[in-house]
Amino acid sequence: MNMFLHELKAYRKSTIIWAFSLVAILVLFMSMFPGLTRDAADFKKLLEGYPEGVRKAFGISLESITSLLGFYSYVFAYILLCGSIQAMNLGISILSKESREKTADFLLTKPVKRNQVVTAKLSAALTSLIITNGIYLAAAVIIAMAVSTKPFDIQTFTLISLTAFWVECMFLALGVLVSAVVTRIKSVLPLSLSTVFGFYVLNMFGAVIGEKAIRYLTPFKYYDTAYIIKHSSYETSYIIIEIIVIAGAIAASYMIYAKKDIHAV
Amino acid sequence: MNLFFREIKAARRSLILWSIGICFMVVSGMAKYEGLSGTGQSLQQMISEMPKSLQAIMGTGTLDLSTAVGFYAILFTYLQLMAAIHAMMLGANIIAKEERDQTAEFLMAKPISRSQIITAKLSAALANVVIFNLVTLILSITMVSKFSKDGESLTDIYLLMAGMFMLQLIFLAAGSSIAAAGNKPKRAASVGTGILLISYILSLAIDLNENIKLLQYITPFKYFEAKRVVAGGVLDPVFVGLSAIIIIILITLTYVSFRKRDLSV
Repeated sequence: MNMFLHELKAYRKSTIIWAFSLVAILVLFMSMFPGLTRDAADFKKLLEGYPEGVRKAFGISLESITSLLGFYSYVFAYILLCGSIQAMNLGISILSKESREKTADFLLTKPVKRNQVVTAKLSAALTSLIITNGIYLAAAVIIAMAVSTKPFDIQTFTLISLTAFWVECMFLALGVLVSAVVTRIKSVLPLSLSTVFGFYVLNMFGAVIGEKAIRYLTPFKYYDTAYIIKHSSYETSYIIIEIIVIAGAIAASYMIYAKKDIHAV
Repeated sequence: MNLFFREIKAARRSLILWSIGICFMVVSGMAKYEGLSGTGQSLQQMISEMPKSLQAIMGTGTLDLSTAVGFYAILFTYLQLMAAIHAMMLGANIIAKEERDQTAEFLMAKPISRSQIITAKLSAALANVVIFNLVTLILSITMVSKFSKDGESLTDIYLLMAGMFMLQLIFLAAGSSIAAAGNKPKRAASVGTGILLISYILSLAIDLNENIKLLQYITPFKYFEAKRVVAGGVLDPVFVGLSAIIIIILITLTYVSFRKRDLSV
């Protein structure tokens, strides 16, 4: 319990900064929503001059993009990106910082098992993510209600917002696994940034070119917002994959960390 | 000179990994171009009449997706982001790592002045950035010319790469000045990346809202935007000048503040 509280305290400042930056990004983008709906209304008038077929094909995607949920899912991609960086950073740093900051011998000579160390640190990281997402979700609902002129489906909105947490859990597990496997991590950020941006670029580019197989490769694509908006639920197969990935990564981290050679000085 | 080669060698592995990343992006991206090249002309015309904010959400902008260069310009946006991250982290780490790894004492005891140290380190970083740029250029030219139709000019790609080089220099200088002027070397890379992410998100927000167009002078991602370079056929002299000024100021800041820096050993 001491370890858990200590870690929580160590990450307190960064958790608060992350939560408020996420909210700030959301405020910045959502403040443009009213202007966007006006633009869209003008464009719809212009569309009337086009043949029926084109108008139909275009009108539908226009309708979905300029609705609150459609616009939110566009903005949300960037929130997700930032949240994932936070999670990956947390995951990589929380175990590796002991040997980087030369406190490993202090911690590991305490009468606790290594497994207990991992458990305490993992739950602290998870708590930090839950707090960030809690603050974000509360703010997001308030902002959405403030900018929306028409009523929107709040359940779907919450489901979309919560995907950030699910994706972050995957990155957290991945980060912990990386920090358990790699012997010495000099600096966390280059590693976590290149991993998250690697997946992000893969995802963005996959969306442009319409590649199906990429969906399984990048966590960013596991929760397709278009599907959530349509069905108000997640896709079961991806939930199962996520659980398997997380369970595998965490179990492997426990096993590797328990027997790892840790440089004390 | 020893220091220069030492730094080149230290960055070699990461440069190779980044090059593999670019190679993957460019090759897999352009390979998908063939499937997309059949986009109808009427759709293209329709997109060009949309309001700017809607174009931004659709992800195409004013680019003509039916030409190889136009398609490449979309890919370029992500290459630019990768290049900026690479340059920023390189610049920040090359200065900050001595204090982080407790090797500052060793280096400073050598009979070379601090300015010489910065010169050697910055030239090593510059060499890395140039190699990064050349690798991207060569890969891009080969892949685009493979898919482009007869008579399509490739000069746009040289222009885009020149723009990317300026962007890399800005972020390299920003990273090094943060590391030299900031008081916590461990934080340098995080702060730098924070600034980079903010400017990237700002550049997206500017696409959505015409009213904040004035902010484009703040975010380097807007300086040499693919759609503007391709449409104009030239790098905007205002932004080239602005970048040069920014780079000179930041490099000077690096030298001045590192000379007086209170190193923690």
